Parts: sequence; structure tokens; C-alpha cells
Amino acid sequence: MIEEMSNKKINITAENCVGCRICQLTCSFLYTKTFNPSKARIKISEVYGLVPIIEFSDDCVYCGECANNCLYGALELIEGGNDEF
Amino acid sequence: MMNFKGYTGNILDIDLSNNKIKTQKEKFEDLKKFIGGMGINCLLAAERLKPQLDPFSPENPIIIGTGPLVGTIMPGSSRTTGITKFPASGAIANVCGGMSFGFQLKQAGYDHLIISGRLEKPSYLMITNNQIELVEAKDLWGKDIIFTTDFMWKNYKDCGVIAIGQAGENKVYGALTLIDKTSTFGRGGLGAVMGSKNLKAIVVRGSNGIEIAYPKEFRVKYQTFIERIRNYPQRESWIELGMLRSLPVGMILNAKGEKRKARQCNDRNYLKMIKKRRFACPTCPMADKDILEIREGEFNGLINYTSSVINPFLMLTSDCLKSYSEAIKIYDLISRYGLDSLTMTSLVDIISKMVKKDELSNEDLGFEWKEDFSSFKKLIGLITYKEGIGDIIAKGWANVKQVDDNFEEEKLTVKGLDVVFEPRFLKLGTMEFEQVVNPKGAHVASGGSPTYVGAGGGLGKMKSHFDRMGIPRNAHERIFKPPKAEMFINVGRLTRYSEDWYTVLTSLGLCARAQMNRFYSLDLVTEFYNLITGFESSREELILAAERSWNLLKILNVNEGFSRKDDRFPNNWFKPLKYGENNLELYDFYGNVQITPKIANQLLDDYYDERGWDTATGIPLKSKLQELDLMKYLF
Repeated sequence: MIEEMSNKKINITAENCVGCRICQLTCSFLYTKTFNPSKARIKISEVYGLVPIIEFSDDCVYCGECANNCLYGALELIEGGNDEF
Repeated sequence: MMNFKGYTGNILDIDLSNNKIKTQKEKFEDLKKFIGGMGINCLLAAERLKPQLDPFSPENPIIIGTGPLVGTIMPGSSRTTGITKFPASGAIANVCGGMSFGFQLKQAGYDHLIISGRLEKPSYLMITNNQIELVEAKDLWGKDIIFTTDFMWKNYKDCGVIAIGQAGENKVYGALTLIDKTSTFGRGGLGAVMGSKNLKAIVVRGSNGIEIAYPKEFRVKYQTFIERIRNYPQRESWIELGMLRSLPVGMILNAKGEKRKARQCNDRNYLKMIKKRRFACPTCPMADKDILEIREGEFNGLINYTSSVINPFLMLTSDCLKSYSEAIKIYDLISRYGLDSLTMTSLVDIISKMVKKDELSNEDLGFEWKEDFSSFKKLIGLITYKEGIGDIIAKGWANVKQVDDNFEEEKLTVKGLDVVFEPRFLKLGTMEFEQVVNPKGAHVASGGSPTYVGAGGGLGKMKSHFDRMGIPRNAHERIFKPPKAEMFINVGRLTRYSEDWYTVLTSLGLCARAQMNRFYSLDLVTEFYNLITGFESSREELILAAERSWNLLKILNVNEGFSRKDDRFPNNWFKPLKYGENNLELYDFYGNVQITPKIANQLLDDYYDERGWDTATGIPLKSKLQELDLMKYLF
């Protein structure tokens, strides 16, 4: 699954997500100066399900900080065209 | 009033008997003296827990805490700690677990939770920020932990859950709870204490967020730190294998002569046949939690969540279980009921031995002992529902003497809790020694660093661990002076500092597991603590707070009547252990010197001496309590 805006995209591999929430904490810290998953623009449901569900809220600008900080290969920031996808 | 950063500053205090709920504020001076998490839990217990209480009385509080780093992005900062008086040992003990409960509690706006009293009807406690509800649980009472947790996740979505199973409901002494149906929390009877309060579960979710004192400086420091962890060369293999990397169960089974079982527990079989998914506690960069799946045979399709695959694998040391799938199935049942897999495995082992020696008959047991899966399953069912022999066993190891006097000879317990790590197999490191001196009884986690790094690292590596943990240089000489020179290290003296380091981590809310704790040092955690809270604490203040907390935990148990007489090496440790074709004896950590009762006593003397306690009684000296400002808590 690919979420995109302008020339940046975030490739999601939900099977790799371990539910650590580092992406949500990175996002909320960057935009609200607090650690608060409920304020993050990346939403994860069924964190401990067999495969978590990862989505982005409407106000996400695809800055890619969540992907840069993901340690498990669940999020990958792609810059440039989308031909290869 | 000071606005604490990192901390929420709030303690939620709930009296179940009167449905009274209040929030009290934490005091700055208490946080400086006890940090948070485990430390503040000890202080709250000292204030709230009257000596000599019946663990099942409504007055026995359950105190749950998190640390100032929990709820932030600090790597491995999701610890939930608890304290209560435990039925299995009669001790007031610290417990610790992972997963999302502590994280959610902080996000909801609370550092600590005190639950006292007793509910009239079985209910669960639901905390959503400042909305606190007790919800009747008549449809959940009688259901297992996994059912209960799934129910909460379905109804409340993103929440942390501490739940009990039928063993807790029935007040089986050793019953524990699971956090998020994964992390064991409260071995020795927290589940039973919750059951005595008619409290089926505690559920929390929060959306308040955590502010920190120095966001810019924190961000820079964090990025450097997380990149160091990301680039750790062994990280990938840790995440692939989880805790199986740290404890190759196959080695233990091979030593027992169980080659077929050992093959089933090797890395290849785990990865190919059993591992379903890796998952993690909040903020963990070294994910090690396991979702397991059985993909063949009678139990095909069974999914089990566990803090590690080594839990069911270790159960294969039991002669009752013949395959990994039987072990996972039994482990799943034990998890559902809320029993302890280590206790059940050692109990079954004792029963098997006694039946073989004709010391225990089918008549004594009340059913035919076939030494197989069905016998194991039957026994845990009887214990959970306290039927027949299960009723006797459910009241703890001290009570099983009623079944047969020989139980006294066979059992390996300290203060009523069965031992976790067998030092005749693993040698006497700090974790093994900790089982003797921990106020709770046989408990290993707080004896962790640094001997679990293994003897292979040599003394140089050991010294670097000492520095990392903040052991003062003037203690090195004493630690390197064991009762016999060939032992190299004095585990008695070293254990004191392992406990203090564990207490620092657990009070801050950081994970103490080896693969995570290895990245931390006292200097580093002090720096992060100050950036998060805005305090200007020194490393010495943190270590002193840990020492103070441990001493307070100790005197709470001195007030219960515990002393050196209870810090007892089990007699059987001094006898050979027949293990497969091997006869194993108790040796020092480096395997050079056999530990005799005389050496064991010397190590105990050294432990008390290093703590500043009376070596004759094992009780903190007045001078130590005065130094730590704790005299008022000793009765």
C-alpha cells in the first residue's frame, strides 16, 4: 500500500510493524511537542493484531519523519515519481 | 505546586469497597528520594500497607506504577511495576511487566494507581483519562485471560489490559496476571489478590500526552542514541530470534539427553514451524515478544501470545510433554487460567519423580498419573478449580506437605516460591544468588546485570559492566575478593549492585532485559532523566534513591517477620542433580569452585555487609536506615 502527497510517498509494509509506536511518538513530538499517539497523524489500529492496520490522517503532510524513525521496515519514505509502483 | 515534566504528578487512589475515587498529587521531594515506578511504589506501600495483613483482606492494596520516562519515546520505556502483599510467600514484593499498560496509564494522566477494598460484584476497572468506571463483569467472570483481553480490545480498541483468569478468581496462591495477554505480571499471587477483590481486569487508555522539559536537547540526544541501537550489529539476530537467542533451550534439553526435543527447539524449527509474528512493547527497538502458531497435528491453528517462545520450550524439560506443540498447548492453557508455567513445570516434575519412587500413589493424586500431556492438563485443571489434590496445591508450596512428607525433600523453594534458575545447571551467578536474598522469594530479574553477559567475556568485560551500572570504584576491590580466589568474583557483593541498577531502571520505567539494558549506563539514564523531567539530579542521587527504595522494600518485609533465616539456599542445591547422564553440582559462576554450605554462608555474609545490613540477622542496620532516612518505617 502506498500513501502519497506531492512527490513524497510512504510505503507501508504492515506485516513488518511490531506495534512499538515509535512512528506515532515521533510524529506527535514533532508537531505538538508532546508524546501523544492520539495526536499523531499516523494511525495504527489493532496494534497487537496479527497484522496491524496503518493509515494516515487527512492532515498528514508526508514529511516522512515516521518512516525515517521506523526501526522495523514497516514504513519507507520514497521521494520522486511513482512509476516503479 | 511544581509542574513536573515527564511525570504526570498524579496518583489515582481507588477504594473498591466504597466506590471512592480520588486523585492525589505527588510531592517533589518524594520523587527526588524514590524516582518513580518501583521506588515510589515502595513508598506508597510503606504508607498504605499495614504489617501482618492477610493478603486477601480488602485492606491489602494493589499498587501499580510507571516511571517518569514511560509514555515518552525513550527506547524500552514501557515498564509497569506493581507491589502488594503476596499470598504465595507472605512477602511484600515488587513485580514488573511489559506491554502497553504503563504506557497507557501515563497517557491517561497517572503515574501510579492504588486499588484497595473489595467489590461486592465481580467487575473490571475502566480508566479513560479522567473518566473512571467500575463495570460489572458477570459475563467475564469464569472466563480466561485471553478471552477477557480480546473482549476489552474489541470493545475499547486501543487500551492496556491487566487481567486475571480462573486461577486468580479462585484465589490460587500462585496465580498471576497477564498484561495484554502476553507479559506475566505478579508471579506469586497478584492474580489471586485481584481475585480476592472481585476485580477481573484493569483497563486503561489515555490521550493526554506527555510533555518533557527540554524537547530540543532531548531530540538531539535521542537521535544519536537510537542510531547507535539501530546499528548494533547483533540487532537483527535478536529481533529474528527474540529471547531464544539468549537462552538456547536446546542446550538444556540436550544435557538432559532429550535430543529429539532439543531439535524441536532449535532456531530453524522455531522460525519455520512456530514463529508467526514478532511484536514489541511500546518504544522497544529490540522487539522480542512472540506470537506463536501451531501449524500441524492435533493443535493445528492454535495461536499463542507470549513474552518469549522460551516459556513453552522450557516446559519440555517435563517428561510429561513429548513435543513442542504439546508444550505450546499446555502453555496456552496455563496462560488462559493465569497460572505460572515455571511453577507448574517444577510441580509436575516433582510429582513424576515421587510416583516413580512409589512415594505418591494414584489414590493420593485422585487420578491415574500417566506422565503425559493428559496428566499435566488434568493437574492444572484441578489446581485452577481447586478440586481434589488441586485444592491442597493451590494453597502454595508450604501446604503441599499435606499430600506427602516427601514433598518437603523434593521441593526447591525460597520463601515459598519455587526457584526459577537452577544454579547446578547454570552456575551461581547474580541471578541465581538473587533467588536466595530477594525479599519476594525465588526471583531472578533483579539479579540480572552483569553476570548474564556470560563468563566468556572475562573480567575486563565484567569491569566495564560495573562502570556502566555505576558501581563505585571503591567497591571493585571487594567484588573481586571472593571467598576463594579461583571464584574471581564475589556474587554476594555484586548482587547488591545488580539490585540497585535494576531498581534505577525499574523506577525510571526502563526495560531491564539484557538486550535492552546493555545500551544504558548510569550516566546516560541520568542525562535523559534530567532532560525529560527538568530535574538536575546527579548519578549519585539516582543510585542513592535506588538503594533507599531497596532498603525500604526490605524493611517492609522485616516488619512481616522475614530475616536471614528465610534467605536460605535450598538444601537440595548442595546435593548432586541427576540430569540425563550428568550429575550436576553447585559451582561458582566460573565453574572453578564447588559451593559448600560454608561458602554459601560466606556469600550471604558478604551480601549483607555490602548492603550495610547486620550479617547475623540480615536486617538493615540502624545506621544504614538513618543514612537513608528510613527509620520511621521500621516497626
